[in-house]
Amino acid sequence: MARRREKKHRTGTIPTDSFSDIAFLLIIYFLVATSLVKLQSISADLPSGEKAEQAQAEKTPIVNLRGGQVFFNDKPVELAELEERLAALELAAKEPEKRVVMLETAKGTSYDAYFQALAAISASGGVVALVEEEK
Amino acid sequence: MPVPTASMGDIAFLLIIFFLVCSEVSKDAADIQVTLPSSERVEKNKAAAAARVAIDQAGQIYFDGAKVENAKDVEWGVRALLANTVVDDQRHVLFRCDAAVAKETFEPVLKAIAEGGGIIDAVGDKKEPGK
Repeated sequence: MARRREKKHRTGTIPTDSFSDIAFLLIIYFLVATSLVKLQSISADLPSGEKAEQAQAEKTPIVNLRGGQVFFNDKPVELAELEERLAALELAAKEPEKRVVMLETAKGTSYDAYFQALAAISASGGVVALVEEEK
Repeated sequence: MPVPTASMGDIAFLLIIFFLVCSEVSKDAADIQVTLPSSERVEKNKAAAAARVAIDQAGQIYFDGAKVENAKDVEWGVRALLANTVVDDQRHVLFRCDAAVAKETFEPVLKAIAEGGGIIDAVGDKKEPGK
């Protein structure tokens, strides 16, 4: 009896059994590789150009940073006292043009000190205006 | 009773697409060395940043992860990005600066961001009350 040689029919299908394994491995890679960075910040909308010059012309509260010391209207204060004094001005309830607080810094002032003053002014609802140095 | 697993691959790929769409590629260069100042007054960012400006401990200025020469480049970059903005929520510029950087370096950058029309979000670490 002759053996019938049966032709092996090759099917053109791609084996998909391991697709889900590959997909889950990719998910695990993205989960491990991504980092959820939560940034915390202080928002400050500084007046620019003509608005900055207007803010300087009017009588506004001024915060000075010089020699590692904080001055509020030319009186030395601690940071906590500065926050109290700014809170007492009730800047948040005022019109935008009356909420300006001038911030003047001496040469060499570190960003850390600047940031603390910026935080205190922004927390009280004030709008920070940078004092231009007289050239 | 065997659990049908035929659709597990579909579910997995949907999850991958979700993560790909939701994740955001960080525009900050990985080698920017910044020690952030800390304050009790910092709050979580609510608005998406239109641009990111950073100053490292050496005083080098970065705009969206790329080094720039001076504050004027920052101003032009911010101005270009914010040219078509309509609402204030689209004008936020993230500002990261090393705590030890001097006023002569960071203040022109802050002014440049303001001149470009940006609202500055100064990034800092949260300080625990009493510390």
